[in-house]
Amino acid sequence: MNSKNFIATVFNSFKVSAVAAVFAVVISFIAAYSIHYTGIPRIIKKLLIVCFTLPMFIPTITYGFAIIYSFGKMGLITRILGTQLFDIYGFNGLLLGYVIFTVPVTFLLIHNTMNYIDKRTIIVSKNLYDNSLSTFWISVFRPLLGTLCCAFLQSFFLCFTDFGIPASVGGNYNVLAIELYNCMMGGVPDFNGGAMISIFMLMPSVLSVLLLSYVDKFNIRYDKISKITPCKNNVRDSFFSIFGVASPLCVLGIFAVIFVLPFTLNFPYQSSFTLEHFIAAFTDNSLQNIFLHSLAISVLTAFFGTLFAYIGALVTRRSNIQKPYKRFIDFLALATNTIPGMVLGVAFLFMFSGTSLQNTFVLIIICNIVHYFSTPYLMMRSALEKLNSKWETVACLMGDNWLRSIIRIVTPNARESLIETFSYYFVNSMVTISALIFITGAKTMTLTTKIKQLQYVNNYNHVFVLSIMIFATNLLAIFIFKKLKSTKKRSLK
Amino acid sequence: MKTKQILPMLGLSLAIAFTAGCENKSNENKTALPENKTENSREVVIYSNADDEAIAAMTHALDNNGFKGKYNFMTFGTSVLGGKLLIEGSNIEADMITMSTFYVNSAQEKNKMFKKLSFNVNTLEKVPEYTAPITSQEGAIIVNTDVLKKNKLQMPISLKDLAKPMYKGFLSVTDVKASSTAWLLMQALVSAYGDFEAETILRGIYKNSQGHLESSGSKPLKLCEAGEVAIGFGLRHQAVRAKAKGLPIEFVDPIEGNFSLTESVAVIDKGANSNPLAMQMAKCIIENGRKELLENYPNVLYTGETSNSANKSKYPRTFERPLTFELYMAHQKISENAK
Repeated sequence: MNSKNFIATVFNSFKVSAVAAVFAVVISFIAAYSIHYTGIPRIIKKLLIVCFTLPMFIPTITYGFAIIYSFGKMGLITRILGTQLFDIYGFNGLLLGYVIFTVPVTFLLIHNTMNYIDKRTIIVSKNLYDNSLSTFWISVFRPLLGTLCCAFLQSFFLCFTDFGIPASVGGNYNVLAIELYNCMMGGVPDFNGGAMISIFMLMPSVLSVLLLSYVDKFNIRYDKISKITPCKNNVRDSFFSIFGVASPLCVLGIFAVIFVLPFTLNFPYQSSFTLEHFIAAFTDNSLQNIFLHSLAISVLTAFFGTLFAYIGALVTRRSNIQKPYKRFIDFLALATNTIPGMVLGVAFLFMFSGTSLQNTFVLIIICNIVHYFSTPYLMMRSALEKLNSKWETVACLMGDNWLRSIIRIVTPNARESLIETFSYYFVNSMVTISALIFITGAKTMTLTTKIKQLQYVNNYNHVFVLSIMIFATNLLAIFIFKKLKSTKKRSLK
Repeated sequence: MKTKQILPMLGLSLAIAFTAGCENKSNENKTALPENKTENSREVVIYSNADDEAIAAMTHALDNNGFKGKYNFMTFGTSVLGGKLLIEGSNIEADMITMSTFYVNSAQEKNKMFKKLSFNVNTLEKVPEYTAPITSQEGAIIVNTDVLKKNKLQMPISLKDLAKPMYKGFLSVTDVKASSTAWLLMQALVSAYGDFEAETILRGIYKNSQGHLESSGSKPLKLCEAGEVAIGFGLRHQAVRAKAKGLPIEFVDPIEGNFSLTESVAVIDKGANSNPLAMQMAKCIIENGRKELLENYPNVLYTGETSNSANKSKYPRTFERPLTFELYMAHQKISENAK
């Protein structure tokens, strides 16, 4: 590739990732705001939470096809409307795919931080006769600034490094991830060239660490977080209710095809109902084992991943370790997000081939923890920094040491975020493919590596059947985590 | 203050040590398992990039000849398996592979990782002593007849036709830089028209397939199946399968020829750890699997073979020069110039 084309590709990657990240953050912010700061009906709030996290429950392999089968020339939505809404190949398709792909992450980060913002500042600001804009700035936007930046960066890097969506709907719009794939996994594999491109892709993460440490100063800690019922405002609530119904409908509309397609013979040309694909997929004898593998890997990844994310966040936010060390942990956490899964998989293959870890569950779990470390760490970090910083000092005066105060005071108060982190790791381990395909072995296959095999032999009906299976598992898991959260909340009261 | 600094560090290192300890232990348990079994009963792991029909044929051959339950097939995309072979060499988990022949050859060149086959391989064309071909995969033009009719397009008969301006926006091909499926297209063009004219035709083809120059070899067929494009270029047997399902898919054998790439079986040389069953299974697949394989991949490869398959292509051709990595790179260069 000549240097002029390369620069154009780099520019494309930056542009589409940044635009997608802005969209994802704005949409997520409105959604989280309507949950925390408006009086819209509870059912709409629940709908928002479910639908904004829903895309995360499905392997990304299906995203591109969901767009093609929804908005393509013969797509479900195109056929219902009678006309194709927009050309799905190129910038538009990428933008749509990236926004759906990253909204769960940005939403979770913002929603999670909003839990830890004291809503009473609104009353104080109102009593001081601030205008609405100042109130919004002081009590909502400013305390969230750090998280909004985090969310933007997370979304940006997820788009920047994703290969699946541009491979499906990228069209003429060349991006770096495709260049990387063609170089590393193309007809003539060139790992050195691939390494060069991936190092280049790491560069923006250095800038992001600097940006994050700058916005740190906007973070505010609260002594006590009190929840208040937002005052009545019919105009505001109507507006957010419309958003709260319309946006989940869009998400459901796009993904509906995944749930329709496997029940048809061969969509779009043979749309008659059949259970044939489900029966064929479930009569595969190995499926039960593969499913159990995925489940075990996800639980263990979630457990150890949460532990590491929590320890990392404790070190950077609740300890007095010198700043350079904290910065280093921040950098590591952000860097993991900028390594494309494929590069991580190949790196693990280089490192562990021939060792006793090769093709083992342990290696897969480590790989998953590293691959997804960034968002859980940032979630834990923003939760911990919102908690009162004097707790440890007070505990120290009362005779407790630092560790005891962490265990007895900080941990119970961070429970909700710990469970959120656990579920984030669990769900992502269930859906991840790009790195695992290189390190799973014949005895350690997972549902997603099976999906990749099926995709390779063009058996998309089964791909969607297994995707629904993963979706159902994640939904059930999330339901259990939610129950756990609410029982713990009650017992704390 | 000091404790406040030391404790988190201690906690961190303890946690790492603890988890690392657990991991090693669980790993020991896992790796200990196969050791307990006797060498002969150890399952043969077969990595393969073959399609469903080929896997089925090989499975039947193995099962009907006493190997049932003694092997484990794991399939990969060509690029992933190619990467694994180059990086892992003989450390690879598999005891045996089936893979595109020129990848097998380059892996052998780089890693010296395959055993010399212990059985006779009577191929029509000479092959290296560590491989035996299992299938020959041909390229063809794939057409969605429904889209073609709706847009009043002519049915193409040659690859040169695909460069005609009327197909602009209706065509999808694979980039030869990303996938070897596109090499079948390149071979046909270069063989029929020479390097220079091939580049000109390819320029027209790329112009027509703007937005649909794909990385994956099966994507053009997929786009035809989804009604997104009218014409694609891909593997012939996959199009045959799609048509058999009753989809509005037709395949056209281009007059420039149905060029082909072979996939071969090879046995990994793991020294003393080699599983002796692997070589027996490789032999079994070649001796007993070829008949069924010929149904879907009708090109004859061994002396004495005949094929009556209805799936035979009209213009089976092979490239005049050996299909080496150097040739592949040369063809990639023509393609890059045409972009």
